[in-house]
Amino acid sequence: MEPAAATEFELERLRAQVAALSKDAVLAQLAAGVIHEINTPIASIFSNIDVMERSLEAIEAQLGAGGPPKALALLKMMRNLVQVDRMACQRISGVIRGLKLHARGEEEGLCPAHLNQLVEDSILLVGSEYKRRIAFITDLGDLPPVECNPQLIGQALLNLLVNAAQAIEAEGQVTVRTAVEGDQVLISIADTGTGMTDEVKQKIFHTAFSTKALGVGTGLGLPLTYRIITEQHRGTITFTSELGRGTTFEIRIPITTKEP
Amino acid sequence: MNPQPEIVLVDDEEMVLTSVSALLMLETECNVHTFLSPAEAIRHLETHPVDLVVSDYLMPQMNGIQLLAKSKELQPEAARVLLTGHADKGSAIQAINAVGLYHYLEKPWENAQLLMIVNSAVERTQLLRQVQAMISDLDNAHDSLKDIQTRLIKAFL
Ligand SMILES: Nc1ncnc2c1ncn2[C@@H]1O[C@H](COP(=O)(O)OP(=O)(O)O)[C@@H](O)[C@H]1O
Ligand SMILES: [Mg+2]
Repeated sequence: MEPAAATEFELERLRAQVAALSKDAVLAQLAAGVIHEINTPIASIFSNIDVMERSLEAIEAQLGAGGPPKALALLKMMRNLVQVDRMACQRISGVIRGLKLHARGEEEGLCPAHLNQLVEDSILLVGSEYKRRIAFITDLGDLPPVECNPQLIGQALLNLLVNAAQAIEAEGQVTVRTAVEGDQVLISIADTGTGMTDEVKQKIFHTAFSTKALGVGTGLGLPLTYRIITEQHRGTITFTSELGRGTTFEIRIPITTKEP
Repeated sequence: MNPQPEIVLVDDEEMVLTSVSALLMLETECNVHTFLSPAEAIRHLETHPVDLVVSDYLMPQMNGIQLLAKSKELQPEAARVLLTGHADKGSAIQAINAVGLYHYLEKPWENAQLLMIVNSAVERTQLLRQVQAMISDLDNAHDSLKDIQTRLIKAFL
């Protein structure tokens, strides 16, 4: 690229970044409102599903095995419907929990959190966009609660998951693994995407470095993720990547973080 | 043996009142009084002894902490539980110590957990009332003992 053209391009990228950031802020604000609005109805439905299940059980117990066959069959059908409703509700509230992590709310500090839950909620969120062509596979170990800022860890996971999904051109897999390693937990995110050239590998943590089209990439995801993991959680982030085969990111965070 | 436990439930959302009271009706022996407005709940508390007050946090005229503070003033022995949405968590937690909450629950709540909290809160209040009654019985007994004592002493003087 000619120097002038390069500057022009950088400027354009900068403008796109500013636009993306302010859009993010607006969306986060909106999301917080929407989540608050959905939370109460969901809570009510969850509770009602449980009460209906308890009531159906009570009715069944009253009727006994010798009750009218038609009534017993209807009860069984209702029990199945109630179970479907519960699963449907769980799916909605998983997405809501995922969104909560990114909505503009009160900043939470370090607290013991269940990383596997965080991983599952983030996958649910990213999966809603990519699951038609990408299989998300999980292999989640038995983890103790980890002292972290769940909102920030959620953001880091989301960045890595979106990058993994965007690296896969047609169909492929993203595999997320968690495990305990001594006094740390490991979260690895492996994709079967394009991989990176050596030149790209050198630069991925640089602010504003992106190989993606304007409007798609901002080059802010990995630098932010790096800061979240290494500075805010005293952890490490490493990766291996092979062109044409895929990329694996590994993050490790101490189970108990000393305040930085 | 104990009278039927009395519960006051306050939320500005009708659906929450309906859901929670259905659960309590099915699974407990409690008598549940529901209120959409904190002011009406306070009016009830002024004239009826209750075992437990469960309140939402964010409501139009008065927040749940203010309501529970009023409840503490009117009926200190009645247990207080806050049932809040996620967004109000921080501010709610800050105020918790001020009103001496028995418990704090986040929406969506787990019915099993809510039942456990309600049952143990009611039990605690009723125990507290029994202890209070015993103490005042003791006081009375003590008073009449003293009475007898003074009369005895007088008799000998
Ligand atoms: N899983 C991955 N596979 C291949 N390349 C990746 C992967 N993750 C990140 N990269 C490379 O790192 C660059 C920077 O990533 P990031 O900071 O998240 O910014 P963005 O995704 O907005 O481009 C990407 O543009 C891409 O070239
Ligand atoms: Mg990215």
